[in-house]
Amino acid sequence: MFSVLRHYGSVAACYLRLTFQQQLEYPLFLASWILMIPIQYFSGIYLLKVITDHFHHLNGWAFPDLMFIFGLGLLSHGLMVVFFINSWMIGRMVIDGTFDRLLLRPMNVFFQLIASYFNFIGFIDLIPGTIIFLYACSLVGFEWTLPNILKLVLILVGAVFIRAALFVMIGSIAFWTKKNAAVHHFTLVILERTTMYPLNLYPYLIQVLFTFVIPIGFISFYPASAFLDRDRFVLPFDLALLTPIIGFVFYYLSQLIFNWGLRKYESAGT
Amino acid sequence: MSIIQVERVVKDYITVVKKPGVRAALKSLLFPEKKTVRAVDDISFTIEPGEIVGYIGPNGAGKSTMIKMLSGILHPTSGHIRVCGISPQQNRKAVVQNLGVVFGQRTQLYWDLQLRESFELLRRIYRVDQKTFRENMEMLQAILGLEDFISRPVRQLSLGQRMRGDLAAAMLHSPSILFLDEPTIGLDAEAKHAIRNFIKEINKAKKVTVILTTHDLDDIEELCSRVIIVNRGKIVEDGPIGAIVNKLTPMRLLEIELKEFASVRPHPAAEIVRHDGLHVSYRFDKNQISASDLIADLSKQLPIRDLSVKDPTIEDAIREIYKEKELVSRGA
Repeated sequence: MFSVLRHYGSVAACYLRLTFQQQLEYPLFLASWILMIPIQYFSGIYLLKVITDHFHHLNGWAFPDLMFIFGLGLLSHGLMVVFFINSWMIGRMVIDGTFDRLLLRPMNVFFQLIASYFNFIGFIDLIPGTIIFLYACSLVGFEWTLPNILKLVLILVGAVFIRAALFVMIGSIAFWTKKNAAVHHFTLVILERTTMYPLNLYPYLIQVLFTFVIPIGFISFYPASAFLDRDRFVLPFDLALLTPIIGFVFYYLSQLIFNWGLRKYESAGT
Repeated sequence: MSIIQVERVVKDYITVVKKPGVRAALKSLLFPEKKTVRAVDDISFTIEPGEIVGYIGPNGAGKSTMIKMLSGILHPTSGHIRVCGISPQQNRKAVVQNLGVVFGQRTQLYWDLQLRESFELLRRIYRVDQKTFRENMEMLQAILGLEDFISRPVRQLSLGQRMRGDLAAAMLHSPSILFLDEPTIGLDAEAKHAIRNFIKEINKAKKVTVILTTHDLDDIEELCSRVIIVNRGKIVEDGPIGAIVNKLTPMRLLEIELKEFASVRPHPAAEIVRHDGLHVSYRFDKNQISASDLIADLSKQLPIRDLSVKDPTIEDAIREIYKEKELVSRGA
């Protein structure tokens, strides 16, 4: 057991070093992201400011609350991009055959897929994420107590796992269809529109869908509601703590689907 | 004991039949017409430790599919495969630990990084200890001449250098079996020579069993003691090259240069395939008439200045198979 952990740890450390070097090979490419990403998200938050300046609130949400959701959503997005970016690549790897190489090495396939790329561009997402979130915290009067900080960490971990699980499931579609780019792009757009803006802006059916079928609401909307004491659904226990639980369940489900798809891939072939 | 055992292996692919036209495309979307394509059709063979086997056949004959099944990437529809006594389908990790695989058209090296970085990653993945790693690197460097480019990013390497890097990467963990899928594709003569030399060396020094698919018949002639020829998913021939060439192409060509113009007549056991001024070519079946008998007969009729007998090459033998394939598919 210990030797297995050491084996995987040593390979993960090597992957980390190689991807770091790999990304430093193209410094201008990284620099262009440093320019683009903050522009993208600060302009998003500016638009919210313009809207709330005119209408004072959006369906009961004032600007500081909106900023809190937006920042929370962006933080888990950035972390997901750092650690799970390769879940976006399954479709491409199946088509160009690089996926076969994972099967030729004596290690767990999912581990190789995920560990083989740490994307530092995600850290660039975290820059506007952190600024927006901290500023929102000061506006809404978020209390930096130990229980609150612990809850926040659990929520972020849970939210990252919900996002990762979603992309693993979408990626696994490629094992059957060989092509999942359209679904993948659609998911990216949906995630952006539903995690950075309050879910209850949307029609009732969509709220049900993103609560019970695809638990996107638990990435930022429900935890933010709980923190801001604004929950509409009365549930027996703290909504904020549901995120990590749902995160792990959803992630486990994505593993089942991935392994099912992998068996299908091996038996069908390309 | 055989190092590779393949027993009655079948692999079917299910594909959707596509027809031209919008109406047909819509119909196919709603009611897909599925067709089973048998890529590998009831193939059995065994390979002994230390053999170099050429696995050859025309495009679409099921070569890559077989390599993928032997290495555990694909599962056969039916039949059994054992590599070192283990099923690659049931225990993939155990089998691949003892396997090196090179796909000529794809690299497993990190494109943007120095060649040595990819080696370090593989050392960790296959858990090669430092001492073995150093020894293997020394041996690989000596045969492949890696020192010239081991510190260069892979994207800057020539195709021949990259292929040498890929071969080294596949051998770092001292596997006892090496699968090479078109290892010399697109290489120049010198690089081809280096790679053939490497295959011979590791086979001799480390008793590595090699299976290679290729369209380059020089590879086979130089390397393989045995070839398995497949076509349309079935084994057509399996044996030493010489025997296969003999069996498939018993025809020989006798080329004669005449001293002066003469009336040239066919021989009962040989047909004239070319007659052009002073040059005449006869084709004959060496099982029907020996070359010396034919020459003796002809020299009674013709004023011969010079002559030569051409042996068929493995290429001719393969062409016979490909021709057969065309005939069959035209007939069907």
